[in-house]
Amino acid sequence: MKTIKINFVLNGEEIVDEVPVNITLLDYLRDYLRLTGTKEGCGKGECGACTVIINGRSVNSCMVLIPQVDGKNVLTIEGLSKDGINEIQEAFVEEGAIQCGFCTPGMVMSTYCLLSKNPHPDEEEIREGLSGNLCRCTGYKKIIEAVKRASGGKK
Amino acid sequence: MKEFEYLKPRDLNEALFFAREYKHRKKFLAGGTDLIVRLKDNLIREDYLIDIGEIKELKGIERKNGEIYIGPTTTHSEIIESQITKKYAPLLVEAVKTIGSPQIRNRGTIGGNVCNASPAGDSIPALVVSEAKFVIKSLDNERTIDIKDLFLGPGKTSIGDDEILYRIIIPEWKENEIGFFNKLGQRNAMSISIASVAVKLEREKDNKFKKASVSFGAVSPVVNRAIRCENLLTERELNSKDYIFEAASCAVNEVNPITDVRATREYRREVSKYLLYESLLSLLGIGG
Repeated sequence: MKTIKINFVLNGEEIVDEVPVNITLLDYLRDYLRLTGTKEGCGKGECGACTVIINGRSVNSCMVLIPQVDGKNVLTIEGLSKDGINEIQEAFVEEGAIQCGFCTPGMVMSTYCLLSKNPHPDEEEIREGLSGNLCRCTGYKKIIEAVKRASGGKK
Repeated sequence: MKEFEYLKPRDLNEALFFAREYKHRKKFLAGGTDLIVRLKDNLIREDYLIDIGEIKELKGIERKNGEIYIGPTTTHSEIIESQITKKYAPLLVEAVKTIGSPQIRNRGTIGGNVCNASPAGDSIPALVVSEAKFVIKSLDNERTIDIKDLFLGPGKTSIGDDEILYRIIIPEWKENEIGFFNKLGQRNAMSISIASVAVKLEREKDNKFKKASVSFGAVSPVVNRAIRCENLLTERELNSKDYIFEAASCAVNEVNPITDVRATREYRREVSKYLLYESLLSLLGIGG
């Protein structure tokens, strides 16, 4: 098995490891670090359940090869809720934007990325920002309401 | 996922060296949004992955001498956000905005979209009507080709085993030009085009145009110009819906689609016509 040394920052902490070269960031998070907040849905970039942030941008971690992470700064749902649940998660709870919960970590990460670039998005921008995340339960309405609440656009 | 040797060249020169060394046994990795899915599905035969995603010489957007130069590993998001492309390559920006999702656009690159040479690659019709040129490098050669000489068939380009796409060059958008990119997919985000169309019109006066460029995506093995549509669009002033419909109707003879899981050949032919017709009406502000 071919391995590679990697060195990157994950949720504010430095990771130094030697791992097989042919695994994805998602595999590494879930199977090696047991950070199972990031979910695997489709495995091919269609559903967004595995969304994490790399260097400030949302990506599908199922489509990132582990060597591509070397030298980067990665944020997962665990990093977002280090000090208890964060205000985006709070808004999802308040609005009832969660049913089965499988898509939620990805939705929250996409929301985080959207609001970090555009703190007060309108509805169309919210829909666009979440267009890479599928939810099979809620019909999206409550998720959009939650993003509005998180952005301070709704009390 | 299959096993492979992962190589990460420090600079373009080393990447070109690896390309010469491993030729058809290598694949370039840029954003990976296509390649990694295919690796998982065991569709990649090559044993060497050369990661060119972080080579500085292959990234970035520049404006010089009336042309826009785009490095191939520039991501779709970078093209959408750049003030240069927003102002001087608006049609490309419009097309790239329709690719995948925010997550895909944050990883996927323009060079990857081009070099995969999918007939459904959404940047391609916009590059065709822009008459893009491509600078291609090898260790001891550099050549520039027109887009009409780039694509050989689905998944095939004229870029050699030991070469790398170095720059995409498009002329600056001029003040008297208008255009659009429009695509039909199964949903708004994340869908592979069933049919798409890019149009660029150069205004002579009012709705009379001295030059028209039309290109359909996902409806031919190789994305080309639709010459018959173009000719009719410059022949007369575009004021009547009937005449625009006549021009758009030529599309059915300009495309050569396949039947696949997304749509049939017949549907794609018909829908190409209406995609062009309706987009032209809305571009020219003629009521539908």
